[in-house]
Amino acid sequence: MKKNSNLLSKIYQKFSSLVSLSVASICLLWTQVSHAAEPTPWQWYFQSPATPVMEQIIEFHNLMFFVEVGIVLLVLGLMVYIVVKFNSKANPEPTKTTHNTALEVLWTVIPIVILIVFAVPSMKLLFFMEKAQNPEMTLKVTGNQWYWSYQYPDNGNFEFDSNIIPDEDIKPGQRRLLEVDNQVVLPVNTEIKVLLTARDVMHNWAVPAFGIKMDTIPGRINETWVKVTKIGTYYGQCSELCGVAHSRMPIAVKVVSKEDFKKWLKKAKSEFASSDDNEVLKLAQFKKSK
Amino acid sequence: MKLKKQRSASRVGAVVLNTEKENSRNGLTAVVLSFLVFSMIGLAYASEPLYRIFCQVTGYGGTTRIAVFDNKSSVAENSITVRFDANVNKLLPWRFKPMQNKIILKPGEQAMAFYEATNVSDKPIVGTAVFNVAPFKVGEYFNKIECFCFTEQVLLPGQTVQMPVTFFVDSSIVEDRNTKEVNTITLSYTFYASDDQSEAENLSKISLKMKKSINNPGETQIIQPG
Amino acid sequence: MSDITHDHHDHRPSGWKRWAYSTNHKDIGTMYLVLSMVAAIIGGAASILMRAELHEPGIQFITDPQFYNVLVTAHGFIMVFFVVMPALIGGFGNWFIPLMIGTPDMAFPRMNNVSFWLVAAALILLVIAGFIDGGAGTGWTVYPPLSSADYHPGMAVDFGILALHLAGASSILGAINFITTIINMRAPGMTFHRMPLFIWAMLLTAFLLLLAIPVLAGALTMLLTDRNFGTAFFAPDGGGDPVLWQHLFWFFGHPEVYIMILPAFGIISEIVSTFSKKPIFGYLGMAYAMTSIGVVGFVVWAHHMYTMGFNVETRAYFTLATMVIAVPTGIKIFSWLATMWGGSIKFDTPMLYSMGFIFLFVVGGVTGVTLANAGVDMAFHDTYFVVAHFHYVLSISALFSMYAGFYYWLGKMSGKRYPEWLGRLQFWVTFVGVNLLFFPQHFAGMAGMPRRIIDYPDAYAGWNMVSSWGAYVSAVGGILFFVVLYKTLTSNVKADANEWGVGATTLEWTVDSPAPFHTHEVTPNVAPEPAE
Repeated sequence: MKKNSNLLSKIYQKFSSLVSLSVASICLLWTQVSHAAEPTPWQWYFQSPATPVMEQIIEFHNLMFFVEVGIVLLVLGLMVYIVVKFNSKANPEPTKTTHNTALEVLWTVIPIVILIVFAVPSMKLLFFMEKAQNPEMTLKVTGNQWYWSYQYPDNGNFEFDSNIIPDEDIKPGQRRLLEVDNQVVLPVNTEIKVLLTARDVMHNWAVPAFGIKMDTIPGRINETWVKVTKIGTYYGQCSELCGVAHSRMPIAVKVVSKEDFKKWLKKAKSEFASSDDNEVLKLAQFKKSK
Repeated sequence: MKLKKQRSASRVGAVVLNTEKENSRNGLTAVVLSFLVFSMIGLAYASEPLYRIFCQVTGYGGTTRIAVFDNKSSVAENSITVRFDANVNKLLPWRFKPMQNKIILKPGEQAMAFYEATNVSDKPIVGTAVFNVAPFKVGEYFNKIECFCFTEQVLLPGQTVQMPVTFFVDSSIVEDRNTKEVNTITLSYTFYASDDQSEAENLSKISLKMKKSINNPGETQIIQPG
Repeated sequence: MSDITHDHHDHRPSGWKRWAYSTNHKDIGTMYLVLSMVAAIIGGAASILMRAELHEPGIQFITDPQFYNVLVTAHGFIMVFFVVMPALIGGFGNWFIPLMIGTPDMAFPRMNNVSFWLVAAALILLVIAGFIDGGAGTGWTVYPPLSSADYHPGMAVDFGILALHLAGASSILGAINFITTIINMRAPGMTFHRMPLFIWAMLLTAFLLLLAIPVLAGALTMLLTDRNFGTAFFAPDGGGDPVLWQHLFWFFGHPEVYIMILPAFGIISEIVSTFSKKPIFGYLGMAYAMTSIGVVGFVVWAHHMYTMGFNVETRAYFTLATMVIAVPTGIKIFSWLATMWGGSIKFDTPMLYSMGFIFLFVVGGVTGVTLANAGVDMAFHDTYFVVAHFHYVLSISALFSMYAGFYYWLGKMSGKRYPEWLGRLQFWVTFVGVNLLFFPQHFAGMAGMPRRIIDYPDAYAGWNMVSSWGAYVSAVGGILFFVVLYKTLTSNVKADANEWGVGATTLEWTVDSPAPFHTHEVTPNVAPEPAE
């Protein structure tokens, strides 16, 4: 019995010291996290968040991250201790211990507690991401082999394609494999409903800084929402294997002020005026109420 | 499994007996396990209809319902927006769009909307529309009474048709804790070229013979509801 | 007991017939191991080609991106179906199930032969699939519509499907054989609760195979008829749904990852116990932890599909169900550590690999907890973070268990002792290599780099270069392994019947090394004293 409690306290000490150590070292690294809406060289953590959803994802991830680094260091520490103390030279006579009920209960219960601690914020985050409060406009995204089409059903219903700028046309300062000819433009601080589908195979519309990643599935419309809180240009890439040019269908989103968005709309409507008429046909529409 | 070495007579006797019993027992085990394998294969196949039924019953994945409008159903207070969305598969040379962007109606009211499709190719083509609603969770409340998507559509070269869909949103949508905050439903269609193009082939033969007796290309035709 | 069998009992056919017609569990096991090595060279070459292509931004030498996608696909299929499964299940399973439970051979020796040749044929078909009609560039997940006849015309995908069918049939036959053998043919006294953990692992793996593979077979057949005979299981235009494929695939695919890692658990348990000179800590807990991992593994499949657009309740369920798996996994990790605790451990190569396994599995396991959360997965799905996660938790973990098992049993299989210093060198090279290879991928993934791309934005260049160097180092480790193998087989150092000493208590150490052609012709009695 004495031996058990001794062992337990040793493990506990190890654990607490390791956790505090790991937290300290991570905090040190923390300051080096870059703030950009695009990947930067040697970046090792998330891109800087631009939506409340991504902020919450990072916040929840940080909680798990610290605990998980602690677990890895705990196991590593125990293994180092074992190598030092229980090699055949240091400990020629093995013990006969094959059971320790207290210990076994402990390493079942502690993980369960940790998981519950994770599950609560996880569910909160999940349900927060699910519901847009009151979307003010809609963006429709259509995946094609190998470009994106964007449509603004609430703002004149015009549509345009967004193609990659090939490597040979990239100008200095532009980002290879991320720049497109027609960026999708969205207003800042606006809740936007995003409808997604595809015209051929599955694609996935993903912008890391937004915390958005949604499959575009042919024959099916998917829905999500986004609210960008910072003006800027954000980059993403297709995130579902879609064939030969999968690596060459980037997403570039330009987020502008609401006024600039209105100006852009005017310009875009004439620039991308579709062959189809936009007028709402009331033809044969009737309502039958009780 | 013949025994070559004997340790003691009684022991060997026991083992030989075991071996014979073992063979039939092994066979039985294998039969039971094979049954398991075949039932799993069966389950994989059963998943197809089961999945479809499951989606229809629960509205999973935004599957809509087919219904008969009930005049006595209640009408909710707040109106809801139904947005219309149209897509064409890349392999089908059609243009397809909703003729109205959206309709605002109250849950419990019946409404009709039109879509317009044009065959921009130079041969007749049979098309089929697939559909769902977003958000998915309202699928079980979205009821279609009549829809062009229930049947295949044949379009001649250059022909344009307007196609109706009559529907209503079940008023109990506002009572569901999950769906009551939904104020916009998107009804989306995607037209595909049908696998079975025999009807189009027949038509193209006929149209070659009697070009004029068929609707003039470019002329819009309205498919009557009902 | 090592003199139970005499040489004149070793009636074995000679020449090619010995192998082609073999019904001997050891010979079939050897053939599986050889097949796995051949496949590992092919699959490993595919990874090196991919890493070399990704060494720098821009296109290096793979001018056809379809070929890159074919490499991605072939690498996945070959590593899963033709390296890990044949080595851990077909190879070690065939060799050591009969030896460890004390029976002369498998229950159905002829079926065993069929199993092997089916998988051999499957490997050939799969390699062909990579070279005809532009190859199958669908990824190992083969999602329609990309894998449909519209977007992958030609025979490549059909060949791939047939290859998986054959491999699947082989696995099902093997599973029936294993289960029957383990249930019916254990030595007297070896109750279920006294079986070695390796046998527990193989029994559970076989059950997972039996339940999961038929679902894959069904789904593949549907895809095949969709492609060729006009059915529409997964084609939206015919009333099908591509999402149904994903459900079926992952209903198979998730248990499949446990099919690969449960045998590894078994091997590691045997080695840790042997080298610590202690019985395994919490034996029953270990056995039932594996059982519950296997059971829960069947109800978590949709966590591979969080970005599909499911109802939020569905995602909440799959999040919680997936997190549950962390509990039995934690029990296993800590039980291994407790087994070592107080032991008198000799750190020979198998033990080094076992400790390496535990470390890698913990790293991959904790990132798995992260990925289980549907909310956070929005940031990780389909990025290199996922690539890093699953390579840690099942690919290099499985590889380490294969190396561990190989060094552990090489003496028993070949009768020769491997050079210990070379084995340890091989371990360290591989350990450094795989961590250099996969750890930076966590970073690239968190920064947003998608997987399965032939070319990446320049910002990801740094970690990719490190990763590629890691791949080359790991490849050196792989080559060193073959050097060890060559040196062992050509050496004169005989391995003892029990080369690991008092810790090695399972029955395979009671027969000669190399294990004679026929073993356990007299059933050993392992009933505890006093007998019965």
